[in-house]
Amino acid sequence: MYLRCLIVLVSFGHCAYSDEPTVGEKLFSLHIKPLFAEKCMACHGDEPEKIKSDFDMRTRNSMLHGGELFEDEVLIPGQGERSYLYILSSRVEEDLEMPPKQSDQLTDEETGWIRDWINDGAPWPDEQRIVEIQEKYAEGEKVVTSKALSEDWQNRRYESDKLWAYRPIKVDEVPEGKHPVDWFINQKLEELGLEKAPVASARELYRRLSFGLTGLPPLPSEVGDFEKEFKQSKQALSKHAKKLMASPHYGEHFARHWLDVARYADSGGFANDYSRPNAWRYRDYVVRAFHEDKPYNQFVMEQIAGDEMDSDKVENLVATGFLRMGPWEQTGMSVFKETRQLWLDDVTDSVGQAFLAHAMQCAKCHDHKFDPVPTRDYYGMMAVFSTTQLAERKAPFLPSESRDYFDSYSGLVQSKIAFYNQQNAELNEKMKRLRKEEKGRAKVGDNGLDPGDEASQSRIYKNLIRHKIELDRVEPLTHAVYTGKTIVRKNVQGRLELPETPWKKGYFDSDVIYSGGDVYSEGEAVEPSGLSAAESLGGMTVSPFPKGKGKRRLALAKWIVDEKNPLTARVMVNRIWSWHFGRGIAGNPNNFGGTGELPTHPGLLDFLANWFMENGWSVRKLNHLILSSQTYRRSSRHPDQKSVDKKDPKGISYARFLPRRLVAEEIRDAMLQVSGELNPRLGGIPSRPDINPEVAFQPRQIMGGTASVYEPDPLPEQRNRRTLYAEKLRGLRDPFLEAFNQPGSDASCELRESSTVAPQALTLLNAEEVHDRALAFASRLVKERKSESAVIYRAFELSLGRSPTREEVMACVARWKSATKSENKKKPTKPSYPRKIKRTVMAEKTGEPYDFWEFLPVFDWYQGDLQRSDADARTRGLAHVCLVLFNSNEFLYLD
Amino acid sequence: MKQPNLVATLSRREALYGLGTGIGSLAFSSLAQAENIHSVGGHHPAQAKRCIFLMMEGGPSHIDTFDPKPELDKRHLQRFKRSGERESAMSSGERYFVKSPFDFEKAGQCGADFSSEWHHLKNHADDMCFYRGCQVESVNHPTACYHLNTGNRFGGDPAVGAWVTYGLGTLNDNLPGFVVLPRASYPQGGASNWSNGFLPADYQGTPLRPQGSPILDLNPPAGMTRMDQRSNLDLLAKLNGKHFQKRSEQDELNARMSSYELAYRMQMEVPGILDLEGETEKTREAYGIGDGKTDSFGRKCLLARRLVEKGVRFVQAYAGNWDSHDYISRAHGSLIRSVDKPIAALLSDLKARGLLEDTLVVWCGEFGRTPDNGIRGGGTSYGRDHNPKAMTMWFAGGGTKAGHTIGATDEIGAEAVECIHHIRDVHCTWLNLLGLNDNKLTYYHAGRYKQLSQFGGEVIDELIA
Repeated sequence: MYLRCLIVLVSFGHCAYSDEPTVGEKLFSLHIKPLFAEKCMACHGDEPEKIKSDFDMRTRNSMLHGGELFEDEVLIPGQGERSYLYILSSRVEEDLEMPPKQSDQLTDEETGWIRDWINDGAPWPDEQRIVEIQEKYAEGEKVVTSKALSEDWQNRRYESDKLWAYRPIKVDEVPEGKHPVDWFINQKLEELGLEKAPVASARELYRRLSFGLTGLPPLPSEVGDFEKEFKQSKQALSKHAKKLMASPHYGEHFARHWLDVARYADSGGFANDYSRPNAWRYRDYVVRAFHEDKPYNQFVMEQIAGDEMDSDKVENLVATGFLRMGPWEQTGMSVFKETRQLWLDDVTDSVGQAFLAHAMQCAKCHDHKFDPVPTRDYYGMMAVFSTTQLAERKAPFLPSESRDYFDSYSGLVQSKIAFYNQQNAELNEKMKRLRKEEKGRAKVGDNGLDPGDEASQSRIYKNLIRHKIELDRVEPLTHAVYTGKTIVRKNVQGRLELPETPWKKGYFDSDVIYSGGDVYSEGEAVEPSGLSAAESLGGMTVSPFPKGKGKRRLALAKWIVDEKNPLTARVMVNRIWSWHFGRGIAGNPNNFGGTGELPTHPGLLDFLANWFMENGWSVRKLNHLILSSQTYRRSSRHPDQKSVDKKDPKGISYARFLPRRLVAEEIRDAMLQVSGELNPRLGGIPSRPDINPEVAFQPRQIMGGTASVYEPDPLPEQRNRRTLYAEKLRGLRDPFLEAFNQPGSDASCELRESSTVAPQALTLLNAEEVHDRALAFASRLVKERKSESAVIYRAFELSLGRSPTREEVMACVARWKSATKSENKKKPTKPSYPRKIKRTVMAEKTGEPYDFWEFLPVFDWYQGDLQRSDADARTRGLAHVCLVLFNSNEFLYLD
Repeated sequence: MKQPNLVATLSRREALYGLGTGIGSLAFSSLAQAENIHSVGGHHPAQAKRCIFLMMEGGPSHIDTFDPKPELDKRHLQRFKRSGERESAMSSGERYFVKSPFDFEKAGQCGADFSSEWHHLKNHADDMCFYRGCQVESVNHPTACYHLNTGNRFGGDPAVGAWVTYGLGTLNDNLPGFVVLPRASYPQGGASNWSNGFLPADYQGTPLRPQGSPILDLNPPAGMTRMDQRSNLDLLAKLNGKHFQKRSEQDELNARMSSYELAYRMQMEVPGILDLEGETEKTREAYGIGDGKTDSFGRKCLLARRLVEKGVRFVQAYAGNWDSHDYISRAHGSLIRSVDKPIAALLSDLKARGLLEDTLVVWCGEFGRTPDNGIRGGGTSYGRDHNPKAMTMWFAGGGTKAGHTIGATDEIGAEAVECIHHIRDVHCTWLNLLGLNDNKLTYYHAGRYKQLSQFGGEVIDELIA
C-alpha cells in the first residue's frame, strides 16, 4: 500500500512533492543521475540518433518503455531486484553486462543505489528539484577548478579521502625525543596489533645500506668496521650513512632512480632511433645534483626553466634536457604539426608525472574521469610549453664534466665513417659502370644495377647520417630548449640550431583546447596555467602565468616549487621513501590522483614533506632522517610472520623490512665490483659494454636500411663501468638488463618491478658476460688468497658480505675440485674478434635478401676481458663456484 | 606497479604449495595466470584456442595482392599535385597513379580475388575470409607496427599475443605461451612490437631467432658441458636451500630456484622442437624448405605449426619487407612468392591435422599502400607509398567466415568505403574469436583498467562465422 501511494505521488509530478525528499528522490538526485551521465548516457541518450539497442535513458518514460532486448522489465518501479536495469548492471547476466567495459563496471554500492531507487518507485524529480536536493544533501566535496568542458563535471563531487593530495600539508606534532618516522609507523603497528621484527644483523644492515645508498655491495673491511661500531652504538648507522652519502657513488645511484622517472635514453626512438649525442650531459647533471645535494626546489626549477632563469649558466641549459628526454623524431613521412604535438603531449604528461604525480594524459581528450583535473588544465599546462622550442645549444664543458675517452671515441666513429665512405665510393664507381638507361615510361628496375647495391647505397647514406650525429657527442653542445616561435621542420637529422632571433621566424602554436585531443580541431582558447585543484584546495595564492613572449616555464617552475603547492614536496619525499623501502607511502609515486593508492601513513607523508621543505629541500638530510629510524633497521625476518600475513596482508605495516631483489643495474655493477673489474670513474660519454653478441650483431631496421651493428668499447676500463653509464638505446636494449626488469624509456617509470622468469636464469647461468665476471672474480681470488678455504672465505665476504659456514666451504671446495678436474681436460682457445661481418637483410626494391660486409673498426683495438684461454684450470674451476655465487639468491636479494 | 608483484607472488604460492607438484609445476612464464580469472579458457566459448599471426611487415599492397583495381589501368601515370597542412613530405607534391603490374583472377567457389603471383594460396580461397575495411592511424612503420601489435601507436603496451596469453594461459609449462619468429632483421621499433608492456614479464613474446641461438643464452658458452652445468646447479641448490631455510615465507626465492630447473629442462627440449629434420621430406618440400626463395618463411610456417601443436598459445611470424616504394612488380612479386607456398602448406597442414578449425590464422601488414606514387630522384617508378586508409587483411580458421570478402575500398583502392573499422575493432574481433572479451580482458595499471583496444571498440560481426 505504502509503495503504491509513493508511485502515485511521484508520477503525478511536481505538485505532489513534499518538501522533504523521499529516499528515491535523494538517490536519484545525488547518485543515479550522475551515474547515468557518467556510465550510461554515452550509448543511451547523449547522441539521440545513435542510441544503442533502442534503449533511451533520457527520461523516466523512455526508460519505462525499455528497448529492443527488454521492454517494460527494464525498469519495474517498486521491484528493484527484478528490473533488468539492476540485473544487467550487477553483471550477473553473461554477455549482457552493463556498462559493457569492465573498466566501467559499477561497484556494489552503485548497483545498490539503482536497486533502492527502483524499490522506492524510481522517482524522477525535475531539474530544479534535483539542484535543491543536491545542494542540501550531497555528500562529498565540490572542487573549484579552472573550467570544465561540461557543467555536470564542473558540479561533480569527490570523495573527500581521495582529495588528500591537494589539501594543504598538515603537520602533526611528534612528541619530544621520538623519532618522527617511528612515531607514525609505530602508531599504525599498535593499531594493527603487530609486534616489530627485531633489529637486523649488522652485516645484513650494512649490505642494505650500501646498496640502498650507492647501489654497490659493501667492501668486506667496511662491513667489519660497521659490525664493531654498531655493536657499541646504533648511532654507527647514522655515521656510516653519512659516509656513504658523501661518496660520488651515492650521486650515481640516486641519479639512476631519477633517470627512471625522467625516461632517460641516449637515442630518440621510432623509425631512425638516431643518437641523442649529448643526452649524457643531462645524466651527469643529475648525478652531480644528487652528489652535491642540490636543493630539490632548485633541481626542479633548472630542469623546467633553467634557460629562462639564466641561459648563460651551462648547468641550467643542460638541466633542461629533461624536457627533451621523451621519444621523438621528425621524418619526411610525418606531419610536423602532429610530431610537434607529440612532443607537447610528452612534455606535459612527463612534467605532470615527475613533479606533480599526475598523469596529465588522462585529461587530454576529456575532463579527467576521476580526478579534479579538467581538460582545460591539460591545455593550460601545455600552453606553458607552446613557446618552448628544441635546440642543440652551445654549452662549454664544465670542469666537473668528464671528458674521458673523447678522442678514442671520435676516432672510432671517424673510422666507421671512413669505411662507409670508402664502400660508398666503390659502390658509386660500380654503379656508374653498370647503370643502363631504363626503357619504359616508368622505372621497373631494369637499370642494370644489382638491387643489393642500390639498397646498400641507401643504407650507407643513412648510417653516415647516424655516425655524423654521433660525432656531436664530444662537442660542447647540449640538448636544450629556448623560448620562441615554432619553426616548421620537415626532417630532423641531427642538430637543431638556435635561431639568432627566436621571435622572428615561425608561428605561435595555438593556445587552445583541441577537441577530443585532435590537433586539427581547435576549441576554446586557454592561458598557461598549473593545476587548478591544487590551487583551490591547497590554498595557493597564484598570479596568472605570462603569455605571449613571456617566461611561461619559469612561472610554472615557480608554481611547482611554491611551498604552498600541496603536491611537490609530498611527491618527492614519497619517491625517496619508495627508494629506501621498495614501496611508497602513497603506493603510486606517479599518481596521487583518486585512482592511485591512498597513503598508508598520511601523517608521516605530511610530516616528511614539511620537514623536507624546512630543511632546505635537502634530499641527503631527508635520507639521513629516514635511515636513522628503527623502522629502517628492522630485520626482514619476522618472528611471527603468520600474524603479519594475517593482520597486514598487503605488507604495508613495516613490521619487518621488506626484502627486495637487486635491480638490473645493481646486479651487473655488483658482479663488476666483486670481480675487481669495475672502473669507478664518474660520468662522461656513454659506455658501450659487451652485450650478448647475437643481439649486438642482430640487424635492426631503420628508415631506409639497417642500422650499423652495436660495437662495444675497445678497452675493459671503458666497458666495465657502472651500468648507469651504459648507452641506453631505445631500439636496442641490453637483454641482460631487460630480463631483470630494467624499464624502457618510453614513459616515466615510478618504481621498478621484479618478476621471476626463466630467461633470467638462462642469462645469469649462460651469458658470456656473466662467465667473464666469474672468471675475473676467480682470478682475483686466487691472487689474493692461498689456501682453498681462505679463497672460499674471501669469495663469500666479497660477494655476500659474510663468512661462509663450514658446510658451505666444504661444498664449494668440493665443487672447485671437481670443476678443476673437468677443466684440466679442456683446452680453451683464444677468442677471435671479427674485423668485418657479413650481414643479410632484405632489399626493399627486390623483396629478396642480399648480403653485405660491415667493417667493425673497434676490433682493431679491442682488448677482451680475462679469457678462459688466459687462465689455468684451477682458476677456471673456481670460476664455476663464482658463477654459482652470482646466481645465488643471497647475492641477488637484500634482507 | 605494485599489482603485478602481488598477483605473481600469490600465484606462485598457489602453484608451488597449493597444487603440491613442487618444482615440476613452475612454468616457463612464472605463474601469474594460475590465479587469474581469465585463465579458465576465456570469457565465452569460442572456436579458436590459439592463434598464428602472419605479420607482413612493411605494409603489403592490397592493390597488388587481393584487391584488384582495374580503374588504375585507365589512370596509369596520370599526374596530379597534392598539398596541405596534413600531408607529410612523403605524401605531398607531384604524384602519379600506378596500375598494378599483376593480373588478377578469381579463385575458389567464393570467387575471391588473387593476383596472378599467388599460385598456391589461391587453392585455399574457400578457407579464407578477406577483410578490406580496416583503417589505421599512422603512416610511419614503427608507429603503425606498434598500433597493430599493441593497440598503442607509441609502443610500451602489451602486444596482442601478450594479452591472449594473459587471458588464456599457457598449455605447455616448458615453453613460453607467446612465441615470435622474427626475420633475421628486427622490425622498426624493435622488440617493443612483442612486448608484455605493463603485464607481468611472463607474457612477453619470446623470439625464436632464425640464426644463432634460438633463445638468447639458451646454452652455456663454449667450453661448458652439460655435466659442468648440472654440478653447478646442484651447488646452487645447496646454497639456496640453506638461505631459504630462514626465509621460507619468501615465495619469490623458491620460484627463482624452480626457474633454474625449468631453464635446464628448456635447454634439453627447445632444440628438439626447433629441429625440422624430424618432419618428412614431403612436408618439408610442401612448405618450400630447401628452396632458396621460400626456405626462410617456410621454416617459420612449419615451426609455427609445431609450436601450436606443442601448446604454444600465440605464434607471430614475420615476413617482409613489403615496403615497396619502387619496383613493385619485382619486389612484391618475389615477396608473394616467398610466402605463397609456405602459407598454403601451413593451411593444408593445419587442416589435415584437424587444427585449422580451432586455430585462428591472421595475415596482415601495418597498413596498405597508395594507388599513387611520388616523384623521387627525378623519375617515376612502379611503386607505392604508405596508405593508412585502405588495406587487406585475411583470416582463416578459428571461427572466421570462410569464403567471404568483407568490406570494400573505393575504385582506386585509396580508401575503405564499406564496413569501415578502426584497428581497435579488429583487435576486439580478434580477441572475441579466441573467446576473450576486450572489455573484460583488462589489467589495472597506473590508475586505470587497461585493455588492448585502449578505450573499447566493437566486434566486427561480419567477420565471424
